[in-house]
Amino acid sequence: MFWQRHLNKLRWVSLSLVFAGLILIPFLHLYQTYEATHSYDYLSSGEKYIYNTMELLTKPFTDDPVNSLDKIKGNTWSGNLFGIKISDPLAVVGQTFAGLTIYWPFVLSALIPVILTILLGRFYCGWICPATFLYELTDNVGTLLKRIGVPVSHRRLNHKLKYIILAVLSLLCALTGTMLFAAIYPPAIIGRELYFQIAAQGFGVGIIFFLFTMVFDLFVARRGFCRYVCPGGALYSLLGHFRILRIKRKVQACNDCVKCTAICQFDLDPMRDDFGQECNNCSACIAICPTDALMFTLNWKDSVYQGPGHLGHHYKQRPNDGAA
Amino acid sequence: MQRRQFVQWLSIAGLSNVLGSAHAARHTANLRYLRPPGALAETDFLARCIRCGNCGEVCPNRCIDFFQLDNGSDSLGTPYIIPREQGCILCMKCGQACPTGALQPIEHEADAIMQQVHMGVARVDQNLCLSYQGKTCGVCYRACPLQDVAIYVQRLEQPVVTDKCVGCGLCERSCIQIPQAIRILPNHQRAAL
Repeated sequence: MFWQRHLNKLRWVSLSLVFAGLILIPFLHLYQTYEATHSYDYLSSGEKYIYNTMELLTKPFTDDPVNSLDKIKGNTWSGNLFGIKISDPLAVVGQTFAGLTIYWPFVLSALIPVILTILLGRFYCGWICPATFLYELTDNVGTLLKRIGVPVSHRRLNHKLKYIILAVLSLLCALTGTMLFAAIYPPAIIGRELYFQIAAQGFGVGIIFFLFTMVFDLFVARRGFCRYVCPGGALYSLLGHFRILRIKRKVQACNDCVKCTAICQFDLDPMRDDFGQECNNCSACIAICPTDALMFTLNWKDSVYQGPGHLGHHYKQRPNDGAA
Repeated sequence: MQRRQFVQWLSIAGLSNVLGSAHAARHTANLRYLRPPGALAETDFLARCIRCGNCGEVCPNRCIDFFQLDNGSDSLGTPYIIPREQGCILCMKCGQACPTGALQPIEHEADAIMQQVHMGVARVDQNLCLSYQGKTCGVCYRACPLQDVAIYVQRLEQPVVTDKCVGCGLCERSCIQIPQAIRILPNHQRAAL
């Protein structure tokens, strides 16, 4: 279906909007604090600039920024979206293990993402995660580096590693009684550190860890953190095991060009019908397919390998045995 | 193989360094900080808090700051208040914003605040306090949101803190003496409720 080719652009719009939101929200908070203290006349010129810009942005929507802007707060780890509290399912898992209690208001705040993930699979990783935004840009940098001769590495590890990390860290959360995921989960780090940098004391240790993961992605394994390490990715993959939104290959239209397999940043093999729970719906394979052979469909299961594409030479050269 | 061994050695050294410094920080801690109002006792708080930063993001007073590794690795990303830098104005927005109940939601209402907020208790150092040293000041008393309940003044503006003090830190923030003559003794190490 031709329109699905453009989903990848839509996805970039979504990623950019989420990232822009994470930058905007701390500035809105600054604006609220200036407004709450009626301190416009005491602000420095830079602060006045923030105040004026944010006033311009929010004037059409609200007359009472001090209170009404509280409806958009937080980050993708846990936040308030127009009055609905939404949390990352990994936060709920980690917190439940760390506290060894279930706090229902918090568990329910992860309900919307959990339901969406069960239906759509690991879409969070592809469409929302602020770390994905930076990792995909890193991946582009990697391509450039390769072109100018810097040795980047695409080592393959085992995808199951991240499930082990999820299990081990959950156990460690319970043993230490602290929320360890928050320290190593990139979207949580990004959301927090952007706030620190804009409205608090500045970037902290989290950003150093994040830079290390970027280096890991560049020089050890392509998109390696998401593929092999990220506990959130592991949880989303598990939740999305029985997803109903899956990419399918139409074997009649496929010409075996391998572009989809080459572009897949998650080391999947769309050309051989290998998607599974790891697919993050990024739709890069759909966008690059020259014959529109790939598309999103509603299905409980992936198809088994359907054989070589009917437009490819493997299929054409096959002896026409028994087919009438 | 040599490079790999070097990387292994480096990562082990780095890891032990980070853990070691975290350990050291925990055991040399002289940082006097408060948890935001409504916080559970420290161990429960660390287990509940998911380090999302929402409490800081709703704080209209910008008194809530966040730990890096300076209070041990288990405090990474948790909120704290240094009362001398910025006291808490008891607006109770952080408790409403906290998704996990690490900061309990508390009504913005005097009785509820006095019953449920236990950030600490103020203590006056009479050797430093100007009012006890022959001058009259009374700034801490005027800064207190629970005047005559949590703090009252004797003659010559000499402040006395009662056990109703919730530990917001506005008195410490406003004390004109350097170093401050009134300090909040944090209460976050109290026994679990």
